[in-house]
Formats: sequence, C-alpha cells, structure tokens
Amino acid sequence: MSATAVTALVVLGFAIVVVRHRSLAIALVGAQALLLGIEALSIDSGDGTGMAVAGAILLVRAAVLPALLVLARRHSREAALVAPATAMVTRLVIAGIAVAIAVAALPPLGLGDRAAEHGAVALLCLGIATVVTRRPAILQIVGGIVAENGVYLLAVAVPGGLPSVIELGVLFDLALVVTVSVAFTRKIHEEVGSSDVDLLRGLRD
Amino acid sequence: MTEALVIAMLAVPLAAAPLVALVPTARAADRLSVAAALVTAALALVLAGLAIADAPDPAARGSWFVLDAAAGVFLALVAVVGLASALVSPAYLRHAGRGWIGARRSHVFYYAAFHVFWAVLLALPLVDNLALAWILVEASTATSALLVAYSGKRAALEAGWKYVVLTTLGLAIALFGIVVLFVAVGPGGGGLARLDWSALSDAAPGLPRQTTLIAFILIIVGLATKVGWAPVHNWLPDAHSEAPPPISAMLSAALLPTVLLIAWRTELALGPALSGGAVRQLFLGFGLLSLAIAIPFLWRPQPWKRLLAYSSLEHMGILALGIGFGTPLAIAGVVVHVVGHGIAKSLGFYTAIPLLRQNPGAARLPARGLARTNASTAVAAAVSLVALAGLPPSPLFVSEVMVLLGGMEAGLLLVAAIAAVLLALGFLGLAHALIEALLGGRRRGGTGPSPRSARAVGVLAGVAAVALVAVAVAAYQLPGSSLVEALMRGAA
Repeated sequence: MSATAVTALVVLGFAIVVVRHRSLAIALVGAQALLLGIEALSIDSGDGTGMAVAGAILLVRAAVLPALLVLARRHSREAALVAPATAMVTRLVIAGIAVAIAVAALPPLGLGDRAAEHGAVALLCLGIATVVTRRPAILQIVGGIVAENGVYLLAVAVPGGLPSVIELGVLFDLALVVTVSVAFTRKIHEEVGSSDVDLLRGLRD
Repeated sequence: MTEALVIAMLAVPLAAAPLVALVPTARAADRLSVAAALVTAALALVLAGLAIADAPDPAARGSWFVLDAAAGVFLALVAVVGLASALVSPAYLRHAGRGWIGARRSHVFYYAAFHVFWAVLLALPLVDNLALAWILVEASTATSALLVAYSGKRAALEAGWKYVVLTTLGLAIALFGIVVLFVAVGPGGGGLARLDWSALSDAAPGLPRQTTLIAFILIIVGLATKVGWAPVHNWLPDAHSEAPPPISAMLSAALLPTVLLIAWRTELALGPALSGGAVRQLFLGFGLLSLAIAIPFLWRPQPWKRLLAYSSLEHMGILALGIGFGTPLAIAGVVVHVVGHGIAKSLGFYTAIPLLRQNPGAARLPARGLARTNASTAVAAAVSLVALAGLPPSPLFVSEVMVLLGGMEAGLLLVAAIAAVLLALGFLGLAHALIEALLGGRRRGGTGPSPRSARAVGVLAGVAAVALVAVAVAAYQLPGSSLVEALMRGAA
C-alpha cells in the first residue's frame, strides 16, 4: 500500500478527532472507507473472488454504514451543537501523543509494509481517542468505525490477504454493531432529547 | 452424527427466533420459547455428554467445530443456564412493562434476541478457529446489547450503550492481534485453517517470539474487555445490573466464561511460542486486579443485582488466576469454579425476579429483611450467596482451595498468598451482604404481595442446592482425572 494513501487515511482520522459537526465526521469516515476500499480493490485486481469481497466491503463501509449514520443523525437532530467534552486542541494533543507513542513503540509485525503497520496502529488509536473524547453517540460510533478501519488497513496489507470468510464475517459483525448502535442513538435521543451520551451518566457507585 | 447434532442444536434456537414473531399471543410466544429451549438444551447436553465421556480420546472434529473436553464442560454450562433463563423468562416478562419497542411486540423482540444470543453462546465453546471465535464473540455483543437495554429505561440504555462501545473497541484490539498472528503463522497454506486451534498449536514452536507475543497480548487484552477483567471491566456492573434478570444470568454465567474459554484456548495454543512467564503474568495480573477492584464493592451496601455483578468480577478474577497458575490442580479448580459459579450466579439473578416484583425499590437499594418478607426468595438468595461466598459445602470453596494450592504447586507463593487474602476479604463482604439481605432492617415503603415467581425461584433454589453439592462432591474426584488431562491438552 502506498505511503501517500496511508498518510491520507491517518490525516482523515485526525480530522475526525477535530471536527465538531456530526455530518462532517460521517463524510470523513466514509471518505476513509472509500480510500481503503479503492486500495483493497487495486491490490486484489486479477483475483475475481478477492475483488468481489473487496467490492462488497467497499460498498458496506463507504456507503451503507455512512447512510445508516446519516439516518441516525436525521432522527436525532440537536437544537445546538453538543458542547465538546474536551477542547479541540486538547483532543488533537491527546490523539497525537497516543499515535506517536503507539507508532514509536510498534515493532515490525512482519507485513513487510511498515507504512501500513504504522497507519493501522495510528487509526486504531485515533478511533479509541475519538470514542473517549467525544460526547455525541454518533461520533462515538464513528470512532469505533475508525478503529475498525485501522484493522482493515492491516488486513488489506497482509500478503495474500485474509481469507474471505474472515473479511466477510468481520464486515457482517461491523454492520450488525453499527445498526444496533444506531438504534441506541435514536432511543437515547428519544429518552433524553439529545444524543449526548454524557446526559446518561446515572450509573455510579 | 455429531455434525448433525451440532447443526440441530444451533438450528433450533435460530429457527425459534423468527417463528416467535408468527405466534398470535404473548402466552403462545412463552410456550414456543420454552419448547425450543427444552429441545436445544437436550441436544446440547447430549453433545456435552459425548465430549466429556470421550475426554481421554483425541477430540472429535467437524468442518468448523471441535468437541473436546473443554467444549463439553462449557457447552453443558451454557445449555443449563440458557434453559433455566428460558424457563424463568415468562415470569419476568409478565410484569416487565412495555419495553424498548412497545408492549405489543416486546415479547417477540425479547425472545428473538434471546434465542439468537443463546445460539451464539452455544457455538462459542465448539468453534475450532480463533478468527471464527472472534466473529461469534462480536456477534454476541450486538444481540445481547439489545437485551441489556430491553426495558428502554435511561439506566438500561446507558448500560447497553457502554457495553456496546467498550466491548466493540476491545474486540477491535483483539482482531488487530488476530491479523498480526495470521501474518506470524506465515504463508504455510490453509487460509482460514491457519487459525484452527490445532494448527496454531502445531505452528507455535516455530513462530517468531516477539510478533507472537504482541499478537497474544492484543488478543487477550481485547478479549478481557468482554470477559470483564479489571481494569477493562467498566461495562460489567452496569450491564449485569440493568439487564432483565434472565439475561443477567446469561451474561454472567454463560457469556463471560465462554469468552474466557477462547482466551484460555489461545493461551494453550500459543503457549509454546512464548515464554511461560509472559503468559502467566498477563493472566495473574488480570486475576489479582479483578479481585482487588471487586472487593471494596462487595463490602459496600449494593442493590442485589449490582452486588452479583461485582461478584462476577471477583469470580472471573479467580478463573484468570487458575489459568495463570496453569497446574493440573489449578485447572481442575477452574472447571469446578466455572460450573459452580454458573449455577449459583444464575440462581442469584433469577432471585431478582420475585425480589424486584415484590419490592421495586430493591433495584436501587440493597435488599433487606428477605427472611421476614418471603421465605422462598430468602432461601434462593441464601443458597446463591452462600455458594458465591465460598462457604462450605459450596463447590466454590473447593475450587478456590484448588486454585490456591495450584498456585503454590506452581511456585507462586506470593501471588497465591495475596489471592488468599483477597478471597477472604471477598468472603467477608458477601457474608455481610447475605446477613443484611436476610435479616437486616426492612426498607421504608413496604413490600407488595408475594409473587408467583417466588415459588418458582424457591423450586429452582432446591434444584440448584442439590446441583451445587453434587458439583462439590464431584470436585474431589477431578484432580488427576482424564478430564483434567484432556483440558490441559487443549483442542490440539
């Protein structure tokens, strides 16, 4: 996988950490999935089964999941932007430090593509950072998808690729979890009048 | 024949899930669910019996499953807990209110999700491949999260949301580790089969140590979020306390142990590629930390289900210690503990059905004075907490002694000593909670009439008490048995 593509994927990940609007975050994670899907298709070109699987993954990750998130956003309109739990600069610094430490500490994983290894671990960290630092439910779902995109980047870079059963099984699970999360988002909005999950913090010991 | 049995065992609950939508009334849905559960459990117990009876022989294998000793033990546990949850579900649903999706369809929603979740749990102990196991574990998240939030109340939504988000992130880390492991195993051919338990065991001695260690740590840390090991356990107390009681029982007594089995199988398969110390330290660390974090919460006055949830954290810690010690005696202790905990904990959660019906305030306040308000509920609570506290003749007393002796046998005296102190503190906390629950002052607000479900839970308590004593007696026969030898061998 080209270093430029990996860089673009990581930049999109950082942008998701920074943006405030849910619609923008959905567009960015869709773009990330599109880029990843195109890379996967180019790697699998010549292998009919591989291309079919990569095409299905591209369709679900870049179109179906963002569409689900757009629907969830429509059903959970906010009167005003949810106040961020942490300032944009703080989020960026937290994410940057997490990525820098993870990338620096990562020994070779044997893929033979160091850029992809670094990109994958960076996206995993950025996804976790997004979930931890964002309050709107949809942004937390987006964070989860970014983390999964990190794993998919690693999978795409595996010489010979992962078996189709694994790729499709993971895709099925991702779609299932996002669908359930979207259902939760709508219900949370119904219950508290916002998709700000901080408003749910009632379970304490 | 075995393959046909496995397919039938999974097909029945998967078929029951859509069929329940076709029945006209809630009562018919109850009956269909119970009938499907009886057939499913019978098939699962036949398979478990075959696996345990054939323990000395090499494990039977199918296209995607393995029927070894561990699969037998865990399959039996999931079958019994699932059946009991299906049997008590009608009593819960009768008074559960409208639920997330409205009164008319709430039964359908509950039973459909319940049977799919149960089918996933039944498949987990059998699956013969690490990647397929991951797919099933992640699938269990989606189905069970809906059940956790079934009531649609704010607290249940919070618990369900936390559960989905935290376990999904954890499982993403585990999947990262699986991909790294797939690369480490190398292009030896076989595709998916490269991650079969036996293939991993065969390949382990030749695997690159550093990469395998990274993969192993990522996989175990990721799975730890789902097992509920501290410090990645935050979802556990909330989900277990907010879910419907039959689902809490499934989560605690079936889901956590079966995911732990996947972690254990990974350890058995990859152990030869790693130095024993690293593997051991990871499990012992999770074990001690889980115990240490659970104990203060067992000492505090807690609502009944939340108390049981923190007790789950403690018991998953004990299981981690047993796996970490890794001696035959400790492994025998793990098996006894899994079974004893499953019986006692599910009974504890079923007790919450009449308890909350009679006194809804018990959802947010510690249970008090049960002995004065309802004898059946009090007996069930007593059987459950006596067993969970590890008071003789509880099998958990025997299993905890086995695990600690196993630790000494492994030369880990300090770890065993710390664990013994923590277990003693946990015992005191639960014993105090038991006395308060049975004899403590009654809460203001009074209680309602004794519900019918109290009698059913009383009967279950009797059955559970007999089963617990039987497990305790059987535990003495376990060390040195062919079953333990087979468990030490893993699925190779």
